[in-house]
Amino acid sequence: MRAIIVSAVVILCFLISYFYPISEVSSQDTKACFKCHSIKTLKKKLESAETLSLYVDKSKFESSVHGALDCSSCHPDISLKNHPTPKKIQSKRDYQRRISQNCLTCHPENALMKPQVHGKIVKSKEISCAECHGSHYIGSMKNWKKTVKVSQYCLACHKFEISKTLPSKEKISLKVSEEEIKRSVHKNFECIVCHSDFSKINHPIYNFKDKVHYRVEMTKICTKCHTDKELKKNPAHYAVAKTTPCIQCHGYHEVKSVKVVKTAPESQYCLNCHSRAISMKMKSGESLSVQVKESDLLASVHKKLKCSDCHKDFSPTQHPIRTFDSVAEYRAKAKEICNNCHKEEVGKYDKSIHAQALVKGNLQSPDCLKCHGYHTVAGIKTDRNLRMGLCAECHKKEMETFKLSIHHEAFLQGKQNAPVCSSCHNAHDVLTTNIAKISDLCIKCHKDVKSAHNKWLWNPPVRLSSFVDTHFASSSCASCHVKGQKAVYLTLYEKRKNKPFTLEEVAKILNIDLEKVKEKIDINKDKKVDSFELWQFIDALETKSDVKLVGRIDVIEPNEAHKIETKKVAVKDCDVCHNPKADFKGKLEINKEGAKPFRIDFDTKALNSAYAIPNISDFYVLGTTKIQILDILFLLALFGGIAVAVGHIALRALTAPIRRKRREGK
Amino acid sequence: MKKVYLHPLPVRIWHWINAISFIILIITGAQIRFGDTLGLMSFETAVDIHSWLGFILLANYFIWLFYYLFSGKLFKIYIPPFWKPVDFIKRSIKQAKYYGYGIMVGDKNPHHPTPDNKFNPMQQLSYLMIMILLIPLQIVTGLILWDPHLFSFLVELAGGIQIVSLIHTALWVFFSAFIIVHFYLATLGHTPMAHIKAMFTGYEEEPEEH
Repeated sequence: MRAIIVSAVVILCFLISYFYPISEVSSQDTKACFKCHSIKTLKKKLESAETLSLYVDKSKFESSVHGALDCSSCHPDISLKNHPTPKKIQSKRDYQRRISQNCLTCHPENALMKPQVHGKIVKSKEISCAECHGSHYIGSMKNWKKTVKVSQYCLACHKFEISKTLPSKEKISLKVSEEEIKRSVHKNFECIVCHSDFSKINHPIYNFKDKVHYRVEMTKICTKCHTDKELKKNPAHYAVAKTTPCIQCHGYHEVKSVKVVKTAPESQYCLNCHSRAISMKMKSGESLSVQVKESDLLASVHKKLKCSDCHKDFSPTQHPIRTFDSVAEYRAKAKEICNNCHKEEVGKYDKSIHAQALVKGNLQSPDCLKCHGYHTVAGIKTDRNLRMGLCAECHKKEMETFKLSIHHEAFLQGKQNAPVCSSCHNAHDVLTTNIAKISDLCIKCHKDVKSAHNKWLWNPPVRLSSFVDTHFASSSCASCHVKGQKAVYLTLYEKRKNKPFTLEEVAKILNIDLEKVKEKIDINKDKKVDSFELWQFIDALETKSDVKLVGRIDVIEPNEAHKIETKKVAVKDCDVCHNPKADFKGKLEINKEGAKPFRIDFDTKALNSAYAIPNISDFYVLGTTKIQILDILFLLALFGGIAVAVGHIALRALTAPIRRKRREGK
Repeated sequence: MKKVYLHPLPVRIWHWINAISFIILIITGAQIRFGDTLGLMSFETAVDIHSWLGFILLANYFIWLFYYLFSGKLFKIYIPPFWKPVDFIKRSIKQAKYYGYGIMVGDKNPHHPTPDNKFNPMQQLSYLMIMILLIPLQIVTGLILWDPHLFSFLVELAGGIQIVSLIHTALWVFFSAFIIVHFYLATLGHTPMAHIKAMFTGYEEEPEEH
């Protein structure tokens, strides 16, 4: 019995000691700390210039969950012996982080990891314990959780700079600004109205692949209230909503209504949505940005136009929903927009090698947009650098050669009449060089070129400029004005239509694959077409069509033509071309649809063959294209004439005795 | 010796201009064509001479044409008597026989030229062809090649400049042979220089028959 009474007294004492912990258990150590730290004005200036209050409200501390602990439990580095020692503290946050390390003494990390999301925050070390839980006055978490409002509960963590790194390595901020929410049209909503799968006790973890995925998934939240039916009231908005996440325009937490004033200037109306990073999806899966930068519009030559001047089907009341198979199809349609005003240019473009290449599937080939831009529509005509630079973006090799020319030198010197690419190749109707009549364009600038050539290029007795035309018609300007190897080009033409045959047409006529045409020409596969091979090929074509070869003299590589040099180095010696041994390479050329012509070397002896007379009937270079068999006939005729005379003389000599006898007989 | 005034002055002038032009044109033509092997002159010089002489030949052709048109002798001298073809053929065969056989055995030339009947049937036929067809053709094709752009309508008519060149070159071949034979035949007078002398003096000497 005595033992029971003793035990009961001990337990009672123990219990009493539990209920009166603060006043009774405050150690001498703690009391000593409060001697100073209960002074309200005690503070410290930090290096970051912040002021850290060193005051601790004793009663509030003692009623906190840590009220029974010695100060040294959390501040183990401080004792009466070493304090106060001037201590360097960087900033409040830095100090909080350092002290929070000491929490781990009693709250081991593995215990903190148990609530999954809490674990993630601890692990990320983005925020310290003290930042969420406070320092000296930590209350019971259980009670707080019960009483706190949901939004406050969420913001306890989400007000901090916490973030999440997605598998795409993109980082998304999870911080929610209370200020933003206050400004939002959803300001009265608790977080869980939208984030309905979250609560004080449930915090799912999403696995977004990337930001786009994140945005798309988050947008689904909106459709819970803002249904398709509601959105369809405004078709344009509906179209945008189907291709663009809501948050793109309406924001994340600072949800605002995007009120569009229909009476505002039209372009402003359109830009309400289109100034944002919105895009449209093609059936092919490609994505095309439909964002329009106002600054682009203002800098463009179309700055005075309204959006609907080009986008005729659209207006503040009309916004058709369009679908395209691919970006290529979209761009092809875009050309129609340009065609509304720029008919002449589009018409010219449609004939160009660029348009053909695009039709053939070469997506690198330029259309209106590639050179002029979508909304940046630049005035290329007036911008010499643009005129030069745009072509060079694709034609780098050609630009490098052009830089060696006298024309480029003039350009660098800032001469206003120095030619750019389009001066010779045209801007829109860019054709393959063998049908482009580039020489005619040279004459556009070099107006006196005929009379200048006519000073020395004429046939006596009359100085006629048509003799210059004769030369201009069959040889390019570059062939004399560029140093280097020259070539005779023979281009395969359709006789009746007087237009180049294409490789595709040839393959069709011969009923063979496109790749086999080369074998059909170069039968022995020695990469050179000899006279026999050439005429056999022409024969094969002639049985099924009407063909001819059109000849011209040009530089060996078309690119060389860009290297026009000064007048001083130009060829003036007739003998360079007009000589049976003139140094010409042969190039047989068959045009291709939407590509540079197919070229193969041919033996220039073919030009001296009798077959050249009907087949290359319009190309004639005195001395060079002479028909060999006529030379042989000439020698035979000389020999025959002499033989007749000598033979007759011989017969007369032999018959002289007969005549003498006859005379004597008389 | 009988003297016949066969070659009036305009004809003689025309003939010698023609002769010299022809020879030089043939040579410069060869130089243009064989620029790589013949080194008589430069290409430019050959073309210049060829062009000048081409025009001289053209003008000269008109001396011939006008003379014969206005003297009224064109028909008499150059046109074979197509109204008596059998006789013409017979005389042609006789003339051919003479050059191929008679001349060897000492026969007399069956043709006796008079101012109104200058050519034997063979000469008549070949000179008609040459003067009415071949020389004009050579001149026209030469003109086209001289400036193909100026005469592009003729190039088209001919079916391409290669055809024009073919005609011009083929005639060059023909005239080269012709001029050799022509020169040889000119030595077949009663003395080797008789016809040639007549072409200078105008008077053809014909030995009188006894």
